[in-house]
Parts: sequence; structure tokens; C-alpha cells
Amino acid sequence: MKYSSFDCLIVERRGPVGWLINNRPEQLNAMSAHMRDEFAVAWKELDADPDVRVIVHTGEGRAFQTGVDVAEIATDGQGMQRYRQSVEDWDLHFTAWQQEVWKPVITAVNGICAGGAFHWVADADIVIAASDAQFFDPHVSVGQVVAIEAIGLLRKMPVEAVMRMAFVGKYERISAHRAYELGMISQVVDPPGELRDEAQALAEKIARNSPAAMRATKKALWGALELGLTDACRAGAGELVSMWGHPDQEEGPRAFAERRDPRWQVDDPT
Amino acid sequence: MSGAGRYETLIVERRGAVGWLEFDRPDVGNAMNAVMFEEIERAWAELDADPAVRVIVNTGAGKTFQTGLDVVELSRDPAALREQSRRTKRAELRLTAWHNRVWKPVIAAVNGVCAGGGLHFVADADIVIAASDATFLDPHVSIGQVTAYEAIALVRKSPMEAIMRMALTGRHERLSAARAYELGILSQVVEPPGRLGAEAMTLAETIARNSPAAMRATKKALWGALELGLTDACRAGAGELTAMWGHPDQEEGPRAFVDRREASWLPLEGPSGDNSGKDRS
Repeated sequence: MKYSSFDCLIVERRGPVGWLINNRPEQLNAMSAHMRDEFAVAWKELDADPDVRVIVHTGEGRAFQTGVDVAEIATDGQGMQRYRQSVEDWDLHFTAWQQEVWKPVITAVNGICAGGAFHWVADADIVIAASDAQFFDPHVSVGQVVAIEAIGLLRKMPVEAVMRMAFVGKYERISAHRAYELGMISQVVDPPGELRDEAQALAEKIARNSPAAMRATKKALWGALELGLTDACRAGAGELVSMWGHPDQEEGPRAFAERRDPRWQVDDPT
Repeated sequence: MSGAGRYETLIVERRGAVGWLEFDRPDVGNAMNAVMFEEIERAWAELDADPAVRVIVNTGAGKTFQTGLDVVELSRDPAALREQSRRTKRAELRLTAWHNRVWKPVIAAVNGVCAGGGLHFVADADIVIAASDATFLDPHVSIGQVTAYEAIALVRKSPMEAIMRMALTGRHERLSAARAYELGILSQVVEPPGRLGAEAMTLAETIARNSPAAMRATKKALWGALELGLTDACRAGAGELTAMWGHPDQEEGPRAFVDRREASWLPLEGPSGDNSGKDRS
């Protein structure tokens, strides 16, 4: 599948793995209005490509991402108004979760991850980081409120750490090692230069699993964050049952018995 | 503001930008009696209303942080016990910052044993640090009592298995400060233990450098998120976010950053005022 051409992102496929790379290294990958529009397109294109089984999101240069490019958005005449409107209307389209991408998404944090960057940590399924990655949220140090990114994180890791990061602002950073201890990430890659190779290897492992089963699983687990426990189990049961009769449910055990890799059915993602 | 003489069971004072609320019944493990119930509610309100207080530290005098209800004394004071039972039944407790709707950042600095009802103050703090010799336990079920509120909040904030184990092992096991740090129940272990107060002060002063209005809206958004499903929580959080737009701190923050100077934030006006800058002018 041919992807659109992007100015602020690199979007490509390597084997079964779709790569989405933040590409404004001079601005520490801060999100301009244009980049934000490109995210919306890139997620949808990777999701629609049947050859992409898993998506990896990372950044060029020394930062993974550093939030909204306030300088750019404030000076382009209409960017700030558009940005504000999108938050007020809860009409955001720059993460995989916001774009309802149901393929597995790995965020590979390659360096500084600050402020709004936590949107892509919170909204990824799996997060790994280079050993020199650093996490902090400077919002309240510049008079800004921390909300949506941290709200996503709160569901997924010990809350105290998220609150401390929110209130300490720019005066403290969490290391990749501590983020690993806290369960915010599941793998620290050392040396840092091997991050992309490790991300590709992890993505290829995941790509060996049934796409349809992973999609239903992802819907069940993210859906559970919307509900109380009993309701979440009921809704999850719906996802579980929806897979019954799917050819992958026959193929999986058969391939296991025959000691070969399964040949999964590739569904229409829509 | 001076707390001297006005509190019998607490030490309440301000040091610079930091308000201190210290449990002060060291001879009985800082357990809560009827006087403390009344005083603690008053102390939170006083610290919250004082515009000079930007951050609040909650700690204990002596070897314990807090050990819950003073059952011995309350058994001799049936009226006070009845009142506390009534509040418990109706979920109208007024013990912690969260119960009292304090929207300033609150740091619990756990200086020793934190047992049973003492866990309220850990569960309901924004940030928790502890002396290296602090321990955590929940003896409720060992004396035939149910654990509910404290553990319910902790279950939202920490790995659940650890909280269930603490609830069900009762007084027969203790969680160390080091393990609580590993689990993310707290973010800092202070060694030697005697440095806890100084470290709490340093952390609080650091936080006090951030915008009070932005922190208040952040606190409302994050605690509010624990009430709702993810999408609804994000929508509600977006409301807190946009309520801050137009506030003078949002101009001052970037300007101070560019000028390489400390930001001059607008102080909070009341304990529960609006965040909107429009309402100030």
C-alpha cells in the first residue's frame, strides 16, 4: 500500500510492521498544527494497510516528543483557535486510541518525553524506551493544566507517580529505569541505539499472533477502562464470543499440532 | 497564621509557602479521638483558605504516622463514636484532604507506622513519601472490623494484589517503605529517617514554584478521573483544561521561561473558587 507523503512524520512499512516516526527533530518533535493533521491521516492509513499487523511509534533525534509546538500554534494566526476548539469539542485525532486503531501499537520512547508526549504513552498498548529516555510533565510550571494524558496514564499505572509528575512539573524527571519499575513501560533498551531494532523484533513477535484475536482483545481491554468491573467483564465476553467461528480459531490449534506457523486470516480492518 | 494554642491534637503551621498538618498525639500512636476529628476538619479548611499556603504536608509526631481511630477513648465517648459511625455510614467522613475538598497539592510524609485508618491519609494524598523505617499495615480484620474506604481508594491507585494482601493479612504482616516504593504506593524513601521533614519541605517548596491555579485545575481533573470511565474522564478533564484558558498564569508562565526568571503566579483566592481568569478581572 502506498502512503501519503508527510512533512512532519515518516510513515513506512518494514515487513509486517508499520512505522510512524515523529520527524521534527529541530523542534524536539513538538506537534505543529500541520503535524497534528498528519497524525490523523497516518494512523488511519497504517490501520487500513492489510500488510501492517503491528504499528511502532517513535521519534527522530534526541526527543521522542515534547507536546504541542506552542510557538508555532500561537503565531500561525489560526492554529491556537483550532487547537482550543478541538479540545473544547473533544475532537482529537492524533493518537491511535483517538483514531480507533485496533491493531497493536508499540510506543518506543527514544529520548525526552515531555508534557503532551504522554498522550502517546497513555494511548499505546505497549511502551518500551531507550535507557537514556526521560519522562517529565512541565505543564504546571508554565501555568498549564495537566489533564487528558495523565488521565489515561492513571488507569494504567500507580497513580501516585502520575500525580507527583504532574505537580512537580519541570523540576524532576523520571528515568527509564523507574518507569520500568512502575510498570509504565515494559522494556528498557540498552544501549539506546538499539531501540528501533528491539522495537522491530518485539513487533515481529506480536505480528505472529492472530490479527483478529488481537483486535477483539484490544477492544475488550480498552473497553474495560470505560466501565466498572462487572460491566467490563460482560462487554469483554461480547468481544470473546464475537471471535467464535472465526477461521483463526481452527487454524491456531491445527498449526500448533503440526508444529508450524499459523496462517492467519487477514480481515478487512474496517 | 499561627496555630499555637488553637489545636490540642494537631500541630498546624505555615513555613514559607508550605502548610504543615501534623498529628500530635504521639503517646497513643497519633490515633484519632473526638477532639482530633473536629480539629482536623478545621485544620484542612484553615490551610486551604490561607493564600500564603501553596502546598500542604501531612505528617505525624513521634514514632507513628497515624493508627486510625482511638478505639479505647472513643469507647468512653459514645456520642463521638455515634457521630463518627453516622458519617462512616453515609460516606460523609471529614478526615482527609480529599474528604474536605482541599484542591492544593497534599504530600503525606509517613514518619513511622501507618496502620488501619491511617491509610486514609496515604490513599487520599496526591504525593506520598516515607521514612525508610516506616511500615504499613491494616489490622481491621484482625479485630473483626471491615476495611473499606482506605483500601478502595488505594486499589484505584496501586497494584491491587498488594492492597488485598494487606487487607487480608491484617495485623500479621507489614509492608515496608521499600516495598511500598517498588509498588508505586509512594515515590520517595528517605534515609536516614530523621531527614523526612527536611525532604518533605524541599519537595513541597519545589512544587510551590508551579502555578497554583494550574495545579488546582490539574488536581480536580486527575481526582475527578477516578470517578469515571476513560472517555468520560477525558471529556471532563478537557473541561478543567479549558477552564484555565485566559488565566493570567498562562501568559506569565511562558514569559518567565523566556526571561529566565521565576514566574510570578496569581495566588488562589478562596478554597473553592473558580479557575477562570475571566472571573478575576
